[in-house]
Amino acid sequence: MAAYLVRRAILLALSLAVSSVALFVLLRVLPGDPANALLDMGATPAQAAAARHELGTDLPPAQQFGGWLRDLARLDLGRSLVSSLPVASEIAGRLHVTVPLTVLAFLLAVLIAVPTGFLVALRRGTWYGTLLAGVSQLGLAVPVFWVGMLLVTVFALRLRWLPAGGFPAEDWAAPAAALTSLLLPVVTIALVMSASLTRYVHSAALDVLDSDYLRTARALGAPLRAALLRHGLRNAAAPVVPILAIELASTFLGAVVVENVFALPGLGSMLVRAFAQHDYPVIQGVLTLSTAAVLTIGFVADTAQRLIDPRLRRTATGTSA
Amino acid sequence: MRSRALVAGCVLLGGVVAIAMVSALWTPYDPADTSGGRLEPPGPEHWLGTDRLGRDLLTQLMIGARVALSIGAGAVALGGALGLLAGIAAGFAVRWLDDMMAVVLDLLIAFPTLLLAMLVIAARRGSLLSAVTAIGLAMTAVVARPARQQVKRVLAQDYVTAARTSGTSWPGIVAGHVLPNIWPALAVNLALQLGRAVLAEAGLSYLGLGPPPPNASWGHMLREAQATVLVAPGDIVAPGLLLVLLVIGVNLLADGVREVADPLLRGRW
Amino acid sequence: MSVVMLSVAACVSSPGGGASASCALSVGSLYEPQNLDNAGGGGQGAAEALAGNVYEALFRLTEAGAVEKSLASEYTVSPDGLTYTFALRQGVRFHSGTPMTSADVRHSLRRILAGTSTSSRKNSLDMIKSVDAPDDHTVVVRLSSRSISLIYNLSQVWIVNHTLADPKTAEDGTGPYRLASWKRGATLTMERFGGYWGASPKCGQVTFRYYTEAAALNNALLSGAVDVVTSVQSPDALAPFSDTSAFRITEGTSTTKLLLAFNCRRAPFDKPLVRRAVSAAIDDAKLLRSIWGDRGMVIGSMVPPADPWYEDLSGKNAYDVEAAKRMLAEAGYPGGFPMTLDTPQYDPHPTIAEFVKSELAKVGITVTINIISADEWYSRIFQHHDFAATLQEHVNDRDIRYYGDPGFYWGYDNPEVSDLIRRSESAKTTREQTELLRRANHEIVEDAASDWLYLNPQIVVASARVTGYAANAVQAQFPVYGIDKR
Repeated sequence: MAAYLVRRAILLALSLAVSSVALFVLLRVLPGDPANALLDMGATPAQAAAARHELGTDLPPAQQFGGWLRDLARLDLGRSLVSSLPVASEIAGRLHVTVPLTVLAFLLAVLIAVPTGFLVALRRGTWYGTLLAGVSQLGLAVPVFWVGMLLVTVFALRLRWLPAGGFPAEDWAAPAAALTSLLLPVVTIALVMSASLTRYVHSAALDVLDSDYLRTARALGAPLRAALLRHGLRNAAAPVVPILAIELASTFLGAVVVENVFALPGLGSMLVRAFAQHDYPVIQGVLTLSTAAVLTIGFVADTAQRLIDPRLRRTATGTSA
Repeated sequence: MRSRALVAGCVLLGGVVAIAMVSALWTPYDPADTSGGRLEPPGPEHWLGTDRLGRDLLTQLMIGARVALSIGAGAVALGGALGLLAGIAAGFAVRWLDDMMAVVLDLLIAFPTLLLAMLVIAARRGSLLSAVTAIGLAMTAVVARPARQQVKRVLAQDYVTAARTSGTSWPGIVAGHVLPNIWPALAVNLALQLGRAVLAEAGLSYLGLGPPPPNASWGHMLREAQATVLVAPGDIVAPGLLLVLLVIGVNLLADGVREVADPLLRGRW
Repeated sequence: MSVVMLSVAACVSSPGGGASASCALSVGSLYEPQNLDNAGGGGQGAAEALAGNVYEALFRLTEAGAVEKSLASEYTVSPDGLTYTFALRQGVRFHSGTPMTSADVRHSLRRILAGTSTSSRKNSLDMIKSVDAPDDHTVVVRLSSRSISLIYNLSQVWIVNHTLADPKTAEDGTGPYRLASWKRGATLTMERFGGYWGASPKCGQVTFRYYTEAAALNNALLSGAVDVVTSVQSPDALAPFSDTSAFRITEGTSTTKLLLAFNCRRAPFDKPLVRRAVSAAIDDAKLLRSIWGDRGMVIGSMVPPADPWYEDLSGKNAYDVEAAKRMLAEAGYPGGFPMTLDTPQYDPHPTIAEFVKSELAKVGITVTINIISADEWYSRIFQHHDFAATLQEHVNDRDIRYYGDPGFYWGYDNPEVSDLIRRSESAKTTREQTELLRRANHEIVEDAASDWLYLNPQIVVASARVTGYAANAVQAQFPVYGIDKR
């Protein structure tokens, strides 16, 4: 296990390093000029050159890369080319929205998917098993922003129960307002995400229900529920955990579209804007952070999977094979 | 052939394909015809009403089917080909290279399609081809990962090992053993990916990153409808509904194919 | 802790009069500042939130467009019009507490005139030869040539404390509000400044909330998250606000003109006849109705009603498909021609491009719509002039002068117009200036230098509890110091 951990940690660091360098190069190769975001109609070519000089984007790429490495060594993500504010503090502000949004949506999705998946598996062939299956099938096919639009139209614009978008200026100092403004987006993501999760849980549950040990346990007189709780959940969890990790990771930045529907000041909307303005330090900062988060989540999930299912410890590669 | 899923999937997908084909020959109005009123409600003249410029929404909806299917198919072709190649390469690769590819695939899967699309569009502007490239590239890892596992499984079979030691070249192994064994799973995966590609395209267009007009896609229609939702709330229904039906159709088709290929899986989705 | 101290300070210093300390105003906007400096890329958002509220200039523009003295209490002009002497208002303090002196004014002007300046005002202040501060309350500005617009242009030069290190990330102005916090992507909060020299503002706290989508912004007003929306970008958002006593809609005039700009350097748009044909082939009124319902106006030139030299020229090159066909034939393009229309990707440009495409198809011109990012627009079109025709919003006031510059992106080169515009700047009276610019405008319209599709309306929607806001958009500012909320 220790060797495995070390190996995974090295791989994690290595892939982070490679992906940041690749991103650095890619961003500078792509056409685009950050100075453009700072100039108004009527600026002269001399002023454009002055702006580039001020930003340091007129330096040779090798020199820019050196500066970036030096900053990074001091754990400094640099400053935004557009706002001049430190990237780290800008990201920190956005995490107040993105992290609760992701985590809450994820928890709600799990809360919906696990019972539904098991129920559908247990009630194979009954009418509400079929109904639940159908609903989940629907959830797989709905674009997440459409769900958001429909929910906004109904609950915010028609019924006026909930805000249609935005996040309180007081941030989490106003917890009730913050939670209310996250409610619709959380439900939107969770509804769509739970559909695909249900599918995996259902599949895992079927495997468990059809398994010999569960049949044996039931044959020995254990009630189904107790047997399921004792043996089923653990065994069903093993294949589902890595899927959960992928879903969690993709929600993290995949929330861009939902943040857009609900006008939430999260990482996603920050990234979209930074891309439009070629604000390299911001793009680099957000993507480095998100890659690290995604890789770490995957790492934790794989480790958890091994703890749940000892059989996997024998295979050496950490990828969820 | 007693799979209900297969039949239902064929009907739904066939319906959308039919709409797309009809739209190539005939639409109620010319898509550029701005003779209608501003945001007219549905009526006998315009069954689904008109947009801000007075253009017929039914016409746009029909053309949207064509855009959705062509981008979906193009992305699946690109992502499927690249993914299969990568999967086979990883399956044949030596241990350390395979490990590395596995890590890269994990990384790519975690990289949201949207970001990839933004990079592609930054490099070469929004167009049909950009959308196909972005979505296809994003799909590559999703196709390659299970393909890699299946290839490895096939290669581990005794008769394949025997063939390899007896000197059959690797293209021979791929053609003779690997492809015939992995195609059912691959086909199912690709069908599922078609649905995802269609959803991804809608998302891109909704954010304004999709192909430019006149390739009016359903995502673009929804973006427009959101801007006018207070005046014409009905306009957000039709494009979304058709999108959902198409994706359900494709998913059912995938399930059907799997059931037919592997009867043991019946009842699963 | 610091936030608490700030609000305590604001409460203590607020005068006991009518101002309600509890009044907290929330303003919704689509234009977040990019940074806090209007001379360093802050953009439209910086002007909207900070001009007049946080920063002040020597002069200020009234809502009607007149120039008033602000931080300058008096000024004199030498007979040759080349030396301006400004007396500064006394007793003015910056938010940091230090008094404003001529050194600050000199610094504020010089940083815009400097070689490294990226300010868009640099060009219009180019005739300034020197700025001197003979004593603490006097500033002398010497010009190399007469500038009738100097006072007007000075209303855009914020007076910044000369000790402020980086005006992009912090502020030190003299306005009635001081910046309390700025959460990028979400809110900018300002609080009443106790040491303000003028009348204390009504609301103790003002929060600008920023949205990226117009729909979300309107929803926010509807659900009460904001009290007032600075400029509504779609008429379709107005329906729920129009028939209730809870909201008030005002329509004022803006200076935002939507242009179909031709590259006058290149065939076929180097021919005025072709440009006129294209202008005549597009039904501007129908386009305006599509985008803005029954709001906004077709003005037929670059000059909006807010500019003193405005005239209604919508009758020139009016919509006439047959005339357009005739002119095309006369210009040597009887069957039309293919063209590419570079279109910024943000609303409403793509929609307008589709309309233009369908209109021009009627005269045989086939349009290929090329959607581009703002960045590409700026690099390729604005800086390198590599385009045939493009759509663009021009938001500035008094920007007819760009037609006098053959190096501007559209490359309109008419020596007579350039001369008229140059002479107008050195005019002795505003009447003379107005007369010269009107003549220039007629020439420009005659040549159809661009196709001026329409002028945006300036629509403000507010909760009925809110009073005292400006209906017109003057240089993108949104003064909040006069606003009261019950």
